[in-house]
Amino acid sequence: MKWTTQQMDTYLNSKEYVDTAVIPLIPLDWEKDPKGKVSMGEFTSLVTEELERQFKGRIFQIAPFTYLSGEADEQKLERLLEWDRHFFKNGFKHIVYVTSDGDWKKLENELPDMLIWMPSLSLESMDASYAKEILNQQMKQMLPLITDKWQQEPKERS
Amino acid sequence: MEEKKHKVSRRQFLSYCLMGVGGFMAAGMISPMVRFALDPALEAGGESDFVQVTTLDDLTEEPQRFDFQVEVEDAWYTSDQPRSAWIYREGDEIVALSPTCTHLGCTVNWEGHDDHPNQFYCPCHHGRFEKDGVNIAGTPPTRPLDVYEVEVRDGSVYLGRPMQR
Ligand code: FES
Repeated sequence: MKWTTQQMDTYLNSKEYVDTAVIPLIPLDWEKDPKGKVSMGEFTSLVTEELERQFKGRIFQIAPFTYLSGEADEQKLERLLEWDRHFFKNGFKHIVYVTSDGDWKKLENELPDMLIWMPSLSLESMDASYAKEILNQQMKQMLPLITDKWQQEPKERS
Repeated sequence: MEEKKHKVSRRQFLSYCLMGVGGFMAAGMISPMVRFALDPALEAGGESDFVQVTTLDDLTEEPQRFDFQVEVEDAWYTSDQPRSAWIYREGDEIVALSPTCTHLGCTVNWEGHDDHPNQFYCPCHHGRFEKDGVNIAGTPPTRPLDVYEVEVRDGSVYLGRPMQR
């Protein structure tokens, strides 16, 4: 489900079925390689939207978690943990963070739940059908990660 | 006299201006409401054009998934959005099913679960449908998968909009 009032109504009527929150993690940086950062954000949104399309009835697509690239690791981690606790406490047993920012890969072990990291492809340089093909391939690998996760017990939070 | 008239009309002008803004705001508030009221109809009607999806030769008796794009007109902009269909042929008939689970909208897969061959399976809450799209009792969906309008022209298969059964 998407971040809209209309879909919120659907959610409120069927909460018990929607147990997974997907949070896109999107870096900002207007100093060093702004375009690269935009490209990460763009790709992350694409992937998140496709996930939402596949699993609309069970996941809620949360508004993006944004941060300056320069923000200290501990600080952005702490902020994300707070989001995580918030959504976990309020009905989401599974939380998936989606990003193209490699910084999170380093922090993966400290995250309480599942990180999906995909390096961003510069889709602008490919022709549309090729870009779609690549994205499809990536999605094919990613979808089972989520359905497998659903087979497992939700991760405990301390 | 001349002067007074002028002043009044200036004040009037101002108040007209304010009314104008108010009126504009009211219109701004009303038109989304109208839009919401009409929305289901708009959504269904927004994709009435037929889109070429595949050719007859590519179809089998086994449902296969085809992806395509439709132009969707939103209030603010028009965009191409991805759609999929599960299509198969049965004798002369072509059946194109919407992959959208009628429970809460996840995407279903043909034979998506090893334990349930010859059925569509929804990974979200284990909804299941027969090959013809009819929901299987005891699983969460309560109505069949929608079917697309199908048209065949010169060996190509075109899909219209998905229809609720
Ligand atoms: S969305 Fe398909 S079973 Fe719930």
